[in-house]
Parts: sequence; structure tokens; C-alpha cells
Amino acid sequence: MDFKKITIIGFILTCLAQLFIPAKMIMDQENVLKTGTEFKFRTRPVDPNDPFRGKYITLDFMDNTFLVNSNDGWDRNENVFIEFTTDSAGFAKIKNVTRAAPDNPNYLNTNIGYFTTTEDENKMELFFDFPFDRYYMEESKAQPAEDVYREASRDTAQITYALVNIKNGGAVLKDVVIDGKSIKDLVEENEGNKN
Amino acid sequence: MKNDLPQRHFGKITIQLSELIEAGILTQEKAAEIQLFYKKDSDQSQNRLFAVFGVLGAILVGLGIILILAHNWDDLSTSIKTIIAFIPLIVGQGLCAYSLFKKTDSQAWNESAAAFLFFAVGASISLISQIYNIPGNIGSFILTWMLLCLPLVYIMRSSIVSLLYLIGITYYACEMGYWGYPTSTPYVYWLLLLLAIPHYYYLFKNRPASNFMVFHNWFFPLSLVIVFGTLAKDNGQLMFVVYMSLFGLLYLIGYLPFFKNKRRISNGYSILGSLGTVGLLLSLSFDWFWKELRVNDIELMSQEFFVATIISIAAIALFIWKIKNIPENKVMPMEVMFMAFILIFIIGIYSPVTAVVLINLLIFAVGVMTIRHGADENHLGILNYGLLIITALVMCRFFDTNISFVIRGMMFLLIGFGFFFVNYWMLKKRKKEAL
Repeated sequence: MDFKKITIIGFILTCLAQLFIPAKMIMDQENVLKTGTEFKFRTRPVDPNDPFRGKYITLDFMDNTFLVNSNDGWDRNENVFIEFTTDSAGFAKIKNVTRAAPDNPNYLNTNIGYFTTTEDENKMELFFDFPFDRYYMEESKAQPAEDVYREASRDTAQITYALVNIKNGGAVLKDVVIDGKSIKDLVEENEGNKN
Repeated sequence: MKNDLPQRHFGKITIQLSELIEAGILTQEKAAEIQLFYKKDSDQSQNRLFAVFGVLGAILVGLGIILILAHNWDDLSTSIKTIIAFIPLIVGQGLCAYSLFKKTDSQAWNESAAAFLFFAVGASISLISQIYNIPGNIGSFILTWMLLCLPLVYIMRSSIVSLLYLIGITYYACEMGYWGYPTSTPYVYWLLLLLAIPHYYYLFKNRPASNFMVFHNWFFPLSLVIVFGTLAKDNGQLMFVVYMSLFGLLYLIGYLPFFKNKRRISNGYSILGSLGTVGLLLSLSFDWFWKELRVNDIELMSQEFFVATIISIAAIALFIWKIKNIPENKVMPMEVMFMAFILIFIIGIYSPVTAVVLINLLIFAVGVMTIRHGADENHLGILNYGLLIITALVMCRFFDTNISFVIRGMMFLLIGFGFFFVNYWMLKKRKKEAL
């Protein structure tokens, strides 16, 4: 095979890979969105930005810890499977943390962030950084979104949660909801009131 | 002499040639030959200019697209955003295909199209991450991006993508090794760097005088200097040996025959090696480092010790190779610094005071030898660099309050006079030689 042919085949393969990877990302996310189970995660948002992907709010989850037996030798950064269930108020709660994938598809594959010891010598508390802690906003709306959140958080009766679909280890963040309304709509309402 | 001729000079030459023919000094055939010779150069220079602007344009347009997409347009539906994510990618691939099949010999086309596609890939992945709120840390995002663009370096023969790739993998290594949480040693970086070497070698063999080669001669060593620190784990002190040997190695590479008769500024290896060696020695001329250094802290079975050994052996091997194969090159003071430092480091474990004194003497010796080197080569830049090294040493000692003001004052006076005297002497010598 001559050099020219190799170049052409190489070029075609590269182009296909460049198209396939984004397409695969879309398909994986769509699959979780369409067939995954929806959970509500209680959260507190803040507002940083990413040089390539724009403005987003970072979500700080509240129920992201789990007590385990310290004899099992859990380690920081270890890859684990977290099984979720819903509590009486309808919010997501960690049901179990395992090293092998559970049969139930409502689990997330992630790493242990860090752990702390507890008063009970035999127990330790694992902390997780859930891999759906970024909600991208339109550039001009990220700051107002944070303001809306801050106002909402003064009123302790209001509840902020993230709407997340979960399936077989993957998760897709769909929306951030403050007191029953999507943060996008709230920002627009607020902007409208100001004008 | 081969030179690059702008179009307007080429016009002038044509006029002068016709004058020479009229005067009967040049035959018509000879004039045509001369014209052809200069025309080729003029075309080449124009091509280069076209390539530079093409690449700059492609980079700016690519970055512009990334920024516009980063705005995250709320009014567009997910499916429209998804389609938009693929448009720059397909346009970029189309441009690359066109340049690959129709403009095979045009460097300007190849480089510009490849640069555009490089940014289009980044824009596409980032827009999809945004649409679906995929957090994925920035390290893995850049890694995917770089891997998808690496083939362009070889298929399009694109040096600009090679440079962008070097920046990308360096950023990736920093993200994993320094900035991210939790940090981890980015071993993948070394494999990625290895994948960039064949193109560097291609430039070295086929286009050694090109500007892209000069840029590679800066980007490669700079990337190494930045990323080596990520190899540090718990034996931080040994990293000083690693870096000193790395700077020694870079400096030695900068004095290989390839760099002979090239502009000094194009030699990133020798400049980084030299500045790094001096900078590191100066920071170690204080006693804080040596006071902390204890024999028990040094773990022989550690990653740092392993890296220090390998890099030092590599530098020593290159040093010996150079002495054997290029005997006409004199041994430069900077080339042996890393070996002297290893000895001082071992001494410093047992006697910190001796080490501090030795380091100070070493810097002073480097300064003096650099001044001499500058004088021998009749190079004012090198000469003053030597003086600057000694000035920096004195500055550092200025902060050590245990030296009396009188002595410090005297040191400054001496150096000040030194600057006057040495420069005056050199200029006078030059004048004499000119006469």
C-alpha cells in the first residue's frame, strides 16, 4: 500500500473518530435521560466558570455521605458503586455503597472523595463528589441565578434540588429547581420584574 | 546566497537587470537565470507569509467559535445545539480533505485547515458537555481533545497542531499533577509526549531552518521543565537534584552540533538550561533548604530517587559523548554544574554549612567563567549575563542579615565598577580590532 493510500485511510479514520466521540457522548447521555430513573438531590449552588465550556453553577450536595464499616479498608479516590433510593420526603438518599456493580440499575459509578473517622471506632463516613455537580447556564444568567439562589436560601422554607437521571453507573443533570420552579425560569421572572 | 525576497525587491531587481542588459554588461540568458533564481525565493517568502496569516486566522476563528458557543444560548433547543456542535467539525474536516487532496503542496492550506479543525474538535466536545451538563474534569476533556487531534499532526503534516498539542498535553499534566483535586502523577503525559517526537524528528530532518523547528525547540524543553515537577511525591528535596540534572541535560542538548551557527534566541534548550541552573543555584544559596535536609528524609526506593538517577545518568552520558565526539567544543561551566551539585547535595546532607558555602562559591565561579566565555567570544550579551549572575548572587546575600553593611556595600561597589570596567574594556577591544 502506498503512502498516499495510508494517508487517506488515516484521514478518514481520524474524521470518523472525531465524529464518533461527540456522537457517543450524546448517545450515552440520551440513553440515561430516556430510560434512567429520576432522582431529586438536595443541593446548594455557587457560580464559577470554565475557560472552554462557559459559565456554570456548581452544586453542593447535602446528602453525599455514607457510613461504612472501617474494617473494609475503604480508600480515598477508590472507585465505587453507589445505589440510590428515595427518602420519605421524596429526595435521593444513598442506599448502599459497594465495590461491585449492583443488580438494580439505579446506581452511580464514581470515586470516594475522602473519608472521616467517627465516634464509633468500627464505622467511618465516606464523602462523595457526585459527578453531576455542574449546571451550565447562559453566560448572562449565571450571576443572576446565583443571586436568585442566595435570596431563596435566606428563606429556609424554600428547597433547592437538582433533577438527575441515573442508570447503570451514568448520570445526567437535567435541571436545578428552587421552590418548585426551574432556576432558568426563576432568573427570567426576576429579570422581567426588574425591567 | 539564499535569501527571502519580498515582492517589491523582486520588482526592483527586474528593473536593474534590464538596465544591465541595455548597458551590455549582462546577456539576456544570464539575466533570465538571475530573474528565475530570485523569483523562486520571492514566491517562497510570500508563501510563508500566507501560511503565517492563514494559521493566525484559523486559530482566531477557532477560538472565536469556542467562545461564542461557551455563551450557552438558552433560546436554542437541545437538538439545534447538538447540530450546531457538529457544524464547525464537519467544516474543518471538509477544509482538511480539500487541502489534503487538492492543495497537497501548500503548507499554508495544510496548516490553516488543520489548525481550524483542531479548535473545531474542542468546540464540539465542549458544547456537548455543556448541553448535557457533563462535568468531567477539565483534564479528561483536554486528553480526549488532544488524542482526537494528534493524527492531524501526521496526516496533515501540521506543525501548528503539533505545537498546540504540546501546549494541550502540558496543560493536561498540570491539571492532573498540580491543580486538580485529588492530584495524581500524570504518567500518560510521557506517552503523549513520545507520540509527538516523530514529527519533531521530521522537522529536524527536513526543515531544520524553519520557524516551526525554532518553536519546537522552545516548546519541547519548556513542557518538560513544567511537567517534571509532577513526578514529586513525598521526597520533594530530591526534586532539586532532578531539576538540576534536567537543566544540565537541556543545556547539553543546546550545544549539540545541530544548534551550531544558529541564532542564540532559537535555542530554547541552552537558554532554559542556563537560566534554570542559575535560578535553582541562587535559590539554594540560602540556608533554608539545607537546614531542612536530613539523611533520614531521603528515601532510596522512591520515585524521585529513580527519576533523579535516570536523568542524571542521561546528562552524564551526553556529557561524555560530547567530549568524545566533539572535542573542539570547550567544556562550558554550565555543563558540569549538575554534577557538582550532586556532590554538594550529598555533602549537604551531613554538613549544611559546607553546602551553603560551596553553592555560593559555585555561583561565583559560574559568573566569572561566563564573563570569561563572553570575553573570549567577544559577545557583550554573554559577558553581561555573567555579571548579572554575580549581581544576583550579591542581591541574595543582601537579604542575609548576618553579613555586615560595610561588606555588603563593598560588594555592590565592586560589582558596579565591574560592569563599567568590563563593558568599557570589551568595547575598546572591539574598536581596536576594527582598526
